[in-house]
Amino acid sequence: MLKKDHNDLLTQTGPDTPFGRMFRCYWIPALLAEELPEPDCPPVRVKLLSERLIAFRDSDGRYGLMDEFCAHRGISLWFGRNEECGLRCPYHGWKYDVTGQCVDMPNEPEHSAFAKKVKLKSYPLVERGGVLWTYMGPAEQQPPLPEYEFATVPAPQTYTSKRFQECNWLQAMEGGIDSSHVSFLHRGDINTDPLFKGARGNQYNLGDLRPVFEVVESAGGLFIGARRNAENGHYYWRITQWVMPSYTIIPPRGTHSVHGHFWIPIDDENCWAWSFDYHPTRALTETELTAMRAGKGIHAKVDGNYRPLANKDNDYLMDRAAQKAGKTYSGIEGFAMQDASLQESMGPIIDRTKETLVSTDSGIIMARQKLLRAIKAFTEQGVVPPGVSLEHQRVRSAAVVLPPDQPFKDAAREALIVHPGVAPASV
Amino acid sequence: MSSAAEARFRIQSPPPTNRAVKVIDLDSATDADIARLVADVGEADLVLMLVSAGADATSAATIGSACSAKRVMTHTVIVRAAAASDASLSKTLAQVRPWSLMVVVVNDDDYVDDILSSFR
Repeated sequence: MLKKDHNDLLTQTGPDTPFGRMFRCYWIPALLAEELPEPDCPPVRVKLLSERLIAFRDSDGRYGLMDEFCAHRGISLWFGRNEECGLRCPYHGWKYDVTGQCVDMPNEPEHSAFAKKVKLKSYPLVERGGVLWTYMGPAEQQPPLPEYEFATVPAPQTYTSKRFQECNWLQAMEGGIDSSHVSFLHRGDINTDPLFKGARGNQYNLGDLRPVFEVVESAGGLFIGARRNAENGHYYWRITQWVMPSYTIIPPRGTHSVHGHFWIPIDDENCWAWSFDYHPTRALTETELTAMRAGKGIHAKVDGNYRPLANKDNDYLMDRAAQKAGKTYSGIEGFAMQDASLQESMGPIIDRTKETLVSTDSGIIMARQKLLRAIKAFTEQGVVPPGVSLEHQRVRSAAVVLPPDQPFKDAAREALIVHPGVAPASV
Repeated sequence: MSSAAEARFRIQSPPPTNRAVKVIDLDSATDADIARLVADVGEADLVLMLVSAGADATSAATIGSACSAKRVMTHTVIVRAAAASDASLSKTLAQVRPWSLMVVVVNDDDYVDDILSSFR
């Protein structure tokens, strides 16, 4: 369980909240690059960390992210005309450039200087790895661009999707570090999903349904190791990394791609679940990309607004026959919606004062405590939180077989950091 | 049914657990402490063992085998990990791993209170 004040602290990320201010220390994914595909394309509404924004791409191809509403009368600039290097409000013609600077005010006298005094709040928006990233903190504290490996490998080696999730970001993220649910909720899919099946490690998974967990602090967050018995007294380890505040990397299987998530608050009751697959040394195959686009692996089928086609309005397309037959454990198809359906069922913000946690929830417990400590240090002393450093971002998950007495973070030390061009440690 | 409005109708009192947690600090425990815990282990739902990285944790086997016989969950927290060498941490891990269904390795002692307060 978590005290109410701590639950409030971790679930509220608006601009005037302690965690909201800390979340703004990081570059976060804002949009897929495909949402702003070309110069002067239609603008896109974006809500992040409880701020309503508008994203657009000007005539020169530059990206902009700024307050959604015109400074004049509060009109949504989603209705704006994206033309001649600016977004023009259709009500009275005020026009803004990608920095939010008003550059034209046609209902004022010609040559009036007043436009120069009007600037909407804006944030940088930068493409990296097919994702448009933003930084919403103080300009003078802006860190270098993110270097998570999925966003830095060549384009043919990476694929990212996003889906709307109708619950607070924390309960979605906690699912990403809750390794013990995999043996139950996802057991039907490990050997059938095209992006998972065929790996030797799967046999360890299915042969030992009671893994033992080890949670170890890392510089940027946590290592969460799931240990199963392997041959000759060795252990098969699956080591997930959580990097603050909300980046998780799932251990790979065989020669399959590596995958993981970012969980980004939209507001306190909704979040974006970002899902990526990449391979450090090879291009993703057409078969893999087709499967990812079809919602296989950790991805989901979504509509034009990135809301999953299986959602709470249609009971996530619950299939009781598949549940009874053991084809799926919960009756919901696909890893992504198996997780999302249950996390959304908790309600928009779960009341953690009423939980009954057990030892296998230690990853979740430790993540909360690390976040709380970081918020305190940031708020009281201005300490830059873990995960901002590029070194913390250049990490990998791993699946390895190790001797029984070795600390995995040391025995698999090299496997847990990024070595460009080197294949991931996978079984 | 998962809206904020509907969340108001959830039963507000969680079920009582009356969970019994036994905590033992292996760094300072005496043989008598270990014997007392082993005698009482059947009353516990969870036994939490604390040990410093690099410290001797051979008593984890005695406690762990008693817990195993009574089907009691075992959880070990290894503290002060950052201050220990890889070899000494490895030695402690080798002693606790066979007897712990959950191991947490942390740098600060004060995580222990947070872990315990998370178990209602």
